[in-house]
Amino acid sequence: MSDAATAARPDLSVALGALRLRLPTLMGSGCYGSGSEYAAFVELSEIGGVVLKSVTRLPRLGNPAPRLVTTPSGLLNAIGLQNPGIDAYLANDVPGFADRPCAVVGSVAGFSVDDYAEVTRRLAARGEIDAIELNISCPNVGSEGETFACDPGLAARATRAAREATRKPLIVKLSPNVTDIAPIARAVEAAGADALAVVNTVRGMAIDVDRQVPRLGNVSGGLSGPAIRPIAVLAVWEVARSVRVPIVGGGGIETARDALEFILAGASAVSIGTANFTDPRAPLNVAAGIRDYLAARGAATLREIVGAANPGYLGAR
Amino acid sequence: MPALEAAPSVHQTVVSDRREPVSGIVILGCQAPALAHATRPGQFVMVVPPGGERTGAALGVYEAGGERVSLMIAAVGPRTRELAGLAPGARLDMLGPLGNGFDLDALAQRGPTGSAEVALLAGGVGLAPLLLAARGLLERGAGVRLYYGARTGSALVDAESFAALGVAVELSTDDGSRGYHGFVTDLFAASGRVPTALAACGPSPMLRAVARAAQRLGVRAQLSLEETFACGVGACWGCVVPLERASAQAPPFPPPAPGETRDYVHARICKEGPVFWADELRW
Repeated sequence: MSDAATAARPDLSVALGALRLRLPTLMGSGCYGSGSEYAAFVELSEIGGVVLKSVTRLPRLGNPAPRLVTTPSGLLNAIGLQNPGIDAYLANDVPGFADRPCAVVGSVAGFSVDDYAEVTRRLAARGEIDAIELNISCPNVGSEGETFACDPGLAARATRAAREATRKPLIVKLSPNVTDIAPIARAVEAAGADALAVVNTVRGMAIDVDRQVPRLGNVSGGLSGPAIRPIAVLAVWEVARSVRVPIVGGGGIETARDALEFILAGASAVSIGTANFTDPRAPLNVAAGIRDYLAARGAATLREIVGAANPGYLGAR
Repeated sequence: MPALEAAPSVHQTVVSDRREPVSGIVILGCQAPALAHATRPGQFVMVVPPGGERTGAALGVYEAGGERVSLMIAAVGPRTRELAGLAPGARLDMLGPLGNGFDLDALAQRGPTGSAEVALLAGGVGLAPLLLAARGLLERGAGVRLYYGARTGSALVDAESFAALGVAVELSTDDGSRGYHGFVTDLFAASGRVPTALAACGPSPMLRAVARAAQRLGVRAQLSLEETFACGVGACWGCVVPLERASAQAPPFPPPAPGETRDYVHARICKEGPVFWADELRW
């Protein structure tokens, strides 16, 4: 590549607190395993980072099957946070996360403030983990899991507990299943979050009309995919007018233009989940498309267009 | 000659041939040398839908040889109709080969009489992964008999490919329009034969019936399970089945947590499977 071409190559790097990403594409928690599942299909150095599947204090077998239903432009899931628990996870899984050529963000779920504090402290202490995402918004574990994301006070308490448990970058993942996301975002920011992930899945269900029963083993689930994209874009728009910390925007992103909607609404980075199931090359195409978009507009960096469509954007550029 | 990579990867294939033996069921041949070389009987691919549907389609590999693999597609929904409509020359990307496939050595083990007689049971397009299995079993010296059922006679396709290998074929239809009138598991029971092993692929109620039949006969059965996949590569844990903790296929998982009464593990059908021993499933 010539020097001129190198100079014209727009910079897609972003900072989420102290977490530096060379590329703005994070793979959504629960959708990408630990990254190794996709390493056969994609160069992991060509994604910004992987947000690992959530881990809890105790092992969880997860929800009964069926756990997946495809719906128009969407995917309903109710996995139920199946994971081996933090003890076995630290012993057996985490050592394998060393040497990933992308950022590795641990995801912590819990059912009490103490859960969030303890699991965050133990996971963040590991060198393999670059940052923590606090999953306070899983819709598939009864009312307990998502309660934290639906109440500003509880969201702040979980965030503060995790904040006190680590100095590593802390991302808190918010739920769209709320009346007003802005006060929750402000409470989480005030409690010490370095960044906000907006949003987790939208609650939903599907019924088998022939058998007259719910189609998911858990009855209800979380909807992802393009069906929820407009909901997620609005949530990012509203959060971007409410907080100064950077936002990881996600919900149904499949293409660069989808990702740009989130970025123009105020997201500094994007989360890609369900699109990997259609084509694991989606995140590579998103990054390449964003780069082309910036180059075509003469923009040198991604940062300068964050929130460009949102007059109320409060964050830094 | 360098060994071809057997690890799964993205294969950019081109449709080489298309056959529609009966209306609505298409056999799509694709030029995919590395995939053809790497695929073991019972493995599957995730097809990247050319129209950008939400999730890829998981399809058992039907034929794999030379530079070609083929897929058997029942055009039942928008996604499968789109795939079934592809013409020669169309590009089709797929991830694979995926899953464990059949343990043919175990299936071909000789019984007390000194021979191996394997019964294959297929329901509908569950036929697909059994052709390569039949070939592999014959190569191992086993006798193979196919019991193949479908809703109606016009949905029975390509039994001749099995017959051409030297497999005895018996047919059934739910409506009696061809072969035995009843489910394929009833046809198998009515045959009165006791094979040394069973292998089956088809809808879940049929596979449960096969599991019961195997238990009655005291014969082990390998079942290739069908389920909705999202990722197909073991990342999302969406396609699980309860599996005995002691199974060699069980993913590592800590002992039951305090208060946890379910003493099994959830195995991923796409990763630990899709083929499981019937007597190890806790479904």
